[in-house]
Amino acid sequence: MAAQVQILAEMVANVWKVVAEVGTDLAAGDTVVILESMKMEIPVLAEHAGTLAEIRVREGDVVQEGDILAVLR
Amino acid sequence: MTVTHPTSAAPQSAGRPAKVPREQDPRHPRKRLSALFDDGSMELISDDDLSGMLAATGTVHGTHAVAFCSDPTVMGGAMGDEGCRVAVLAYERAMADQAPIIGLWHSGGARLAEGVLSLHAVGQIFHAMTLASGKVAQVSVVLGPAAGGAAYGPALTDVVILGPEGRIFVTGPDVVRSVTGEDVDMLRLGGPEPHGRRSGVVHVLTDSEPEALQRARDVTALLSAPGDLDVDAVADIDLARSLPESMRRAYDVHPLVADVLDEGTGIELHARWAPNITTTLGRLGGHSVGVIANNPLRLGGCLDSLSAEKASRFVRMCDAFGIPLVVVVDVPGYLPGVGQEWDGVVRRGAKLLHAFAEAKVPRVTLVTRKAYGGAYIAMNARSLGATRVFAWPGAVVAVMGAVAAVRILHRRKIAEVPQDIRAQVEAELATEHEEIAGGVDKAIEIGVVDEVVEPSHTRKRLAEAIAAALTSPRTRGKHGNIPL
Repeated sequence: MAAQVQILAEMVANVWKVVAEVGTDLAAGDTVVILESMKMEIPVLAEHAGTLAEIRVREGDVVQEGDILAVLR
Repeated sequence: MTVTHPTSAAPQSAGRPAKVPREQDPRHPRKRLSALFDDGSMELISDDDLSGMLAATGTVHGTHAVAFCSDPTVMGGAMGDEGCRVAVLAYERAMADQAPIIGLWHSGGARLAEGVLSLHAVGQIFHAMTLASGKVAQVSVVLGPAAGGAAYGPALTDVVILGPEGRIFVTGPDVVRSVTGEDVDMLRLGGPEPHGRRSGVVHVLTDSEPEALQRARDVTALLSAPGDLDVDAVADIDLARSLPESMRRAYDVHPLVADVLDEGTGIELHARWAPNITTTLGRLGGHSVGVIANNPLRLGGCLDSLSAEKASRFVRMCDAFGIPLVVVVDVPGYLPGVGQEWDGVVRRGAKLLHAFAEAKVPRVTLVTRKAYGGAYIAMNARSLGATRVFAWPGAVVAVMGAVAAVRILHRRKIAEVPQDIRAQVEAELATEHEEIAGGVDKAIEIGVVDEVVEPSHTRKRLAEAIAAALTSPRTRGKHGNIPL
């Protein structure tokens, strides 16, 4: 169960809000961060349940497609 | 095309320590076919021998259907001349009866020992499949390894369903290792993850063999027994109930699609591949429909090259079988980027324009929040021949978002105002612009939206619009369903 799951940005975007806190347990479908792109606020959800080990972005950052936003453990 | 040695592609059967007698093997094609058809309805139309293939007729959900099944109890299901003739015979029967055909696959590919004869025989199945394309519904269920020729068979059909043990690849792990040096197992090469998410080969993933067969039965019925549309049976519900308050907030479109359809009837195809658009078969008022919907949760709901290709194939499949389309639009545009342009977003996006424009089936569009630019046209706009275009109150149909538009249209004016009030000026200009260019009133005035409809009355209006356009016999596009 120690496998890491990386949560990636699907598209170029601004990080609008970091919602989840490191160390919390997330269920599948919980919002981790909210990106802003194409004039929309796009929630990025945890695909699997797990503990949020890392958040690699800060609000206001610009992320590219494929960038790691967060890591679940 | 590769001739695959059956022992290398299907080690499960080759490496089995104590061989189960063929009659007791749960993979026996007679058992699988019998489980596919309605109880007691199966009649074999080929001999139960060692040809490697078995064919039968029967009913699925009461509808007459033909099926064939490869036989992994003989040489790992490898396909030779005799077995391939059985599959071709099944196709001839399906065409003669104008009945749907279901293929159950578990095969290492062409029989190596038969050489080119087996390749010739496999090619004849492909030919029969292609001639049947768009005429009778073709559903494939991959229950074990399907390698080489057995991979391309399913790929030529309308819907591919993968069982948990299903693996699809042109060349197996051994060949990949010896040629490229890549060390990969069958699961990672051609299992649910690569084909569900990356390749788009598989339409439906399942967790068990019975579930895979059940899905095949459901899809077959949706495609070939569309039923009657009973508008009075369509109950209105508030379709906006699953949408967020803020127009800017993205959301998952799946609950909305489920609400459009009769409860529990939806089967989503390609759920994890190109997820920024959803393609779902289901029923509305008892009648089969195909629902295409942008999913704002993924890529903001933008169209891109893969989603355009996915949707085009779905549109053409539904059109070929006379299945009406419901197009749920909330699209900010085409996804911008170098990768998209180089990846052929223009070429692949053109497929969607072509697919909608040529479609003969009733196709009704609903703009829920916004439809911008080229993506607006591609999502079955009035200009492409939509049967009817509905919009919810407050929906925006425009070339682009109002702020972006006024930044271009009023570039000089905005540049002249002081920085501190620039945002305010932009907002004012945007409101003004929206009134004259993007509002739903304007869209109605020029005739690109037919009717503004409340979310709480939308289901029935969709059903009525489809019912009004349905003909007897059903209008169908006269074309095949090439695997775009």
